[in-house]
Amino acid sequence: MTSSEAREILLLYRAGTADAADTEMAEALALARQDPELGRWFEQHHAFQKAMRAGFRQIEVPAHLKASLLIQKPAQRTFVTPQVWWRRPVWLTAAAAVLLVLGLIGAWLKPRVPDRFANFQSRMVGAAQLAYRMDLETNDMQQVRQLMASRGAPADYDVPPALEHLQLTGGGRLTWRSNPVAMVCFDRGDKKMLFLFVMKRSAVKDPPPKTPQLAKVRQMLVASWTLGDNTYVLAGPEEADFLKKYL
Amino acid sequence: MDFQSLVDLHYAALYRFAMSMTRTESDACDLVQQTFLTWAAKGHQLQDTSKVKSWLFTTLHRYFLASRRRSTRFPHLEITGVEAELPNVEPDQVRHLNAQDALHMLSQVDKQFQAAVALFYLEDYSYNEIASILEVPLGTVKSRIARGLAQLRELVLNKAAPPGKATGGTT
Repeated sequence: MTSSEAREILLLYRAGTADAADTEMAEALALARQDPELGRWFEQHHAFQKAMRAGFRQIEVPAHLKASLLIQKPAQRTFVTPQVWWRRPVWLTAAAAVLLVLGLIGAWLKPRVPDRFANFQSRMVGAAQLAYRMDLETNDMQQVRQLMASRGAPADYDVPPALEHLQLTGGGRLTWRSNPVAMVCFDRGDKKMLFLFVMKRSAVKDPPPKTPQLAKVRQMLVASWTLGDNTYVLAGPEEADFLKKYL
Repeated sequence: MDFQSLVDLHYAALYRFAMSMTRTESDACDLVQQTFLTWAAKGHQLQDTSKVKSWLFTTLHRYFLASRRRSTRFPHLEITGVEAELPNVEPDQVRHLNAQDALHMLSQVDKQFQAAVALFYLEDYSYNEIASILEVPLGTVKSRIARGLAQLRELVLNKAAPPGKATGGTT
């Protein structure tokens, strides 16, 4: 192996990995220990690799990402693994039946307690930032209402007059703690979106008042209010006069 | 393993890989989100649980390619000759390199090399595993990494050199 060949091989060497186990790599490493010039080059290259590797591994992961991933409950959540006796369909069916009965009894015995509005608001903002997917793309509000009605989400929502002047882009049905939520999406005019979330007020124990309340949640501005049977959350990018512009 | 445990284990590594390719937080988050949604729908088809991690990386990479409409295969590049293109990089020139620098420099590397270089630095995958994730031959992976590293070294020198000064010579 020549010095030049060794450099080509060592170029792809990563210290602390299985790379050293490769026979060619081992030979090149040995040569680098014997050849001063190659050894100096390798030392420089190693410093470069170490710094680049550290740089990439410093990439910060957004704090909200994990929560956003867990917002939508996937239907399929488990691996398929080789079957053992207690995983055979007959046993699984029996276990599922027992669990179902126990669950139903538990649900029947335990009074349903609506949860906090702050949690709903935070989850919806998370959805707006990452996890949302429109079920219907349309600029026809009637079609959005029909979609919501067909899927059990509030369809009788009131759209603030200022929002009606924006471009409707579509809507989707979300859920929050098993409660259907209507999501209506508007284009602010600069390809930035505004999201109107509507849910039955009875789903939370502390619905916001009738007068819209403004808050900043996860770098978004959020207005929330209650009107009739519905609770509303309007979320959008931070900007001045948010309430005045859209409500 | 349940969904939450799967997310716990892999979401950060997937995000870093996505961020290396997109350089945009929202795009990277979207890719990770889409990957886990796909897992929720199709993950049960994977029989070998030891391959979950590479399955997730492959899926994310496919979504990245789809988002960039880069379905065509890149030509295979021979690794031979890359060594001659390598400029010297002194340790002082990279000592204070941070994540932002790394991402910025990677963004200036040829696009077809970026994913391979990102996996090279982010994960301790073997070259065979990287080839499997990117769905290209082993030789292609090696050549992409080698050429990507050569470009990175050049960029480090350019970053360190005073304005107007030529970059370091090759070895």
